[in-house]
Amino acid sequence: MSSDVRDVLNLSVEDRPRPAKRQKTAASRPNLKGLAREVQNLGGDNPIAIVPEISSFKKRRLGSRKPAARWKLAPFRNSARGDGLLLKHWKREADKSSGQDGPANEHEATAEKQSEEIEDSEFAKFNVSVNVPQYSDDQYNATLTNKDWTKDETDYLMETCKKFDLRWPLVWDRYDYALKMLVPSGQGSGEGESDADPNSAVVPTPKIRTMEDLKARYYEVAAKMMAVQRPVQYMNAAEFSLHETMVNFRPGDETKRKAYAQSLLGRSKEEIKEEESLLIEVRRILARTEKFNQERRELYNRLDYPQSETTQDLSSFKTSMGLQNLLQTLMNVDKSKKRKSLAGTEVNTPASAGPSAHPGSTPISDHRRESIAASTHRDSIGESSRPERPAKKGPQQPERRKLTEQEEQIYGVSNHDRLSSGPTFRFERINKILTTKSNAQHQRIINTLAELDVPARLNMPTKAVVDQMEKLLNQIVILLDLKKVGDKLDADIKVEQVKKADREKRNAPAEPEKKGGADEAAKAGAPATESAKADAADGAQQAGQNGDAGVKQEVAEDKMDTT
Amino acid sequence: MAPVNAGKRVKGVQIHRPFIYGTTARPFNDTDNVRPPGVPADHTHSWTVFVKGVEDTEIFYWLRRVQFKLHESIPNHLRTLDAETISKENETKPPSKRQKGFAVHETGWGEFEITIKLYYDSKSGEKPQTLYHHLRLHPYGRTEAEKEAMRNNGTGEVVAWTYEEQLFNEPYEEFYKILTTGARDKGTPAPGGGGKGKGKGGKVAAAEENNVKGDVKERSAMIPLQTRPGQPFSREAEQLEIKRIREGEEKVQDMILQMTRSHKAKEAELAALKEANAA
Repeated sequence: MSSDVRDVLNLSVEDRPRPAKRQKTAASRPNLKGLAREVQNLGGDNPIAIVPEISSFKKRRLGSRKPAARWKLAPFRNSARGDGLLLKHWKREADKSSGQDGPANEHEATAEKQSEEIEDSEFAKFNVSVNVPQYSDDQYNATLTNKDWTKDETDYLMETCKKFDLRWPLVWDRYDYALKMLVPSGQGSGEGESDADPNSAVVPTPKIRTMEDLKARYYEVAAKMMAVQRPVQYMNAAEFSLHETMVNFRPGDETKRKAYAQSLLGRSKEEIKEEESLLIEVRRILARTEKFNQERRELYNRLDYPQSETTQDLSSFKTSMGLQNLLQTLMNVDKSKKRKSLAGTEVNTPASAGPSAHPGSTPISDHRRESIAASTHRDSIGESSRPERPAKKGPQQPERRKLTEQEEQIYGVSNHDRLSSGPTFRFERINKILTTKSNAQHQRIINTLAELDVPARLNMPTKAVVDQMEKLLNQIVILLDLKKVGDKLDADIKVEQVKKADREKRNAPAEPEKKGGADEAAKAGAPATESAKADAADGAQQAGQNGDAGVKQEVAEDKMDTT
Repeated sequence: MAPVNAGKRVKGVQIHRPFIYGTTARPFNDTDNVRPPGVPADHTHSWTVFVKGVEDTEIFYWLRRVQFKLHESIPNHLRTLDAETISKENETKPPSKRQKGFAVHETGWGEFEITIKLYYDSKSGEKPQTLYHHLRLHPYGRTEAEKEAMRNNGTGEVVAWTYEEQLFNEPYEEFYKILTTGARDKGTPAPGGGGKGKGKGGKVAAAEENNVKGDVKERSAMIPLQTRPGQPFSREAEQLEIKRIREGEEKVQDMILQMTRSHKAKEAELAALKEANAA
């Protein structure tokens, strides 16, 4: 019972230990709102469950009154805008610390502050612009030239990309290089575009660029500039992957992809259905061929049994009919055997199966069988021989860690189709080119190199340098060959000239009046000097042949040396 | 010596490592390169022949031993240096004095051809290879100007260094692993347990993050970006060389063009002559 009830009933206070009671009630009493303490106490130990709902906001409000927050119409500027437009918005005013100084003071202070720094909009930070690759003229000429793109147009592309933040549909939509040319911005026309003067009546029809063209060019430029700034092997992972994606951009694939997507979206319901049914059909066909191949492989395995027959007469098995027959017979044989094999012995190995098979010859015949199979059914042999290799490589593959391309750069790993294993030196390749030539040829190449002011021993035989050097050497060899041909031609000409002089000498005494023109002279003198001419011609031919043969021999010698 | 159990070769893969070999020679003088006592009076130069990594990176992990074959007149003319002994000696030295390559110091008066035989790490399973280097004591060059430049390069040193790339074609599995792991920034200590094991990928990635200025990493095939004094081989030098060769190529192409043109003229002339003669 509560103390109030006790009071009402006039019970003495001492009846019960008071402090304990009080503590108890104080602790256990739930904090009910909107109920006077006295009423609450009436409940005694059983707390009152239902509480009249009295909205208490008025009271509370009075109790927790604070000075109302000050809001102010403050101007702000958005640095993302170019025009510096000043807008105003409501803003909660400064904190309490300044408020304690005194309202008047505070007002002035904030006013001053506002005038000092007109705040920037919070949303200005979302105005990010893309970094479009920059390049100088030299860099452009060194790495970025492209026969399809002039520098001017590339500049225009970069500008457009920047303007539209690389939103490609927009870039593509607004890309209008022809328009830009009609409205010339300045005299700085590119080297290739110098004849496309806007003043001239003829406006060159510009290429119509697809979005993929634009992308391809942009990525090309961006990737190259990235590589110029930092060679690939020094890029960090993020940069490297970015570079890779840009380098690997294939506009053709992209166009195809879009076309596919387009056609995929443009299908009608019937077409979708048809496609699905076709797909199911394909799957069924594939499954069937799989099964068929499987059966065929089994058949070939079975074919290995009877050696003596097949080696004698193969032709009967080359037709499908023959195979069918063989299969039939083998099946019959097999069935009887299989029944036995259920007992537990393995039968299917060719060595143990064929009664006529002598174990020593089986691998050979195996081989033969496979080659026969290859001649008739390529696909199945391909399948049956393939599993061998993965089995060999199987254990080693997982051991080796796959290197990323960047790691390959760092560790200098490269992949080649054909390699002779073992250690060599990079310069060896150049050395080989030089030393496999004949001595004379070698000397000639060295001389040519000296003429070109290129040292024969490379300063830095890296892969790029060696590749370049190889090209140069090939060119030099071509040049030397040409020289040889030229010498031969010179010799021939000399021979012919001598002959001509000879002939003229001979003709001159015979026909002194040979001045009216060669044709007339020839006609007139034809019968008289026929034999003489024939002689001369014969001689000339012979001489020519001799010369030919001589040079040919020389060339042949050189070839012998090189091989 | 090739271990038979080295596993299989990694097909179609080539790994390269750049290195430098060559000689550096200085004539004796009274100021900074005094003839040490005990050196014969007719010796005029002190010289060093070496094999080392680019940017003084360590190469002991793939090169186990180098044998320098000097001229037979020099006592003990076969000098063999083992990476192991060098590493052991290095342990007692402060880091700055540690030897990163193979080097032989000698004195002499004459130039000759040095045969350098490289023995690879035993895990590579490869046979040793031979390089030849001509010891240079006197300034050389194709022109007098080049010689003069060499003479006056400040120290009087005659430098004959050769850049080379060691190619490992189809290395054995184990060696492949050694060559493709453990790249780290220069100066960082080797991670415990040598260059193999898993978890290297993470380290490589971490190293990449630090690699801002394009430094060469230990155990990598990288070469520096820029040429610096004492480190003449770099991407920069490579580009210069490519440019020079390309210019040469262009010249040759020009010549080829001209020659084909003149050939055509000559052929025409010859044909005309032949026709005239045959008629």
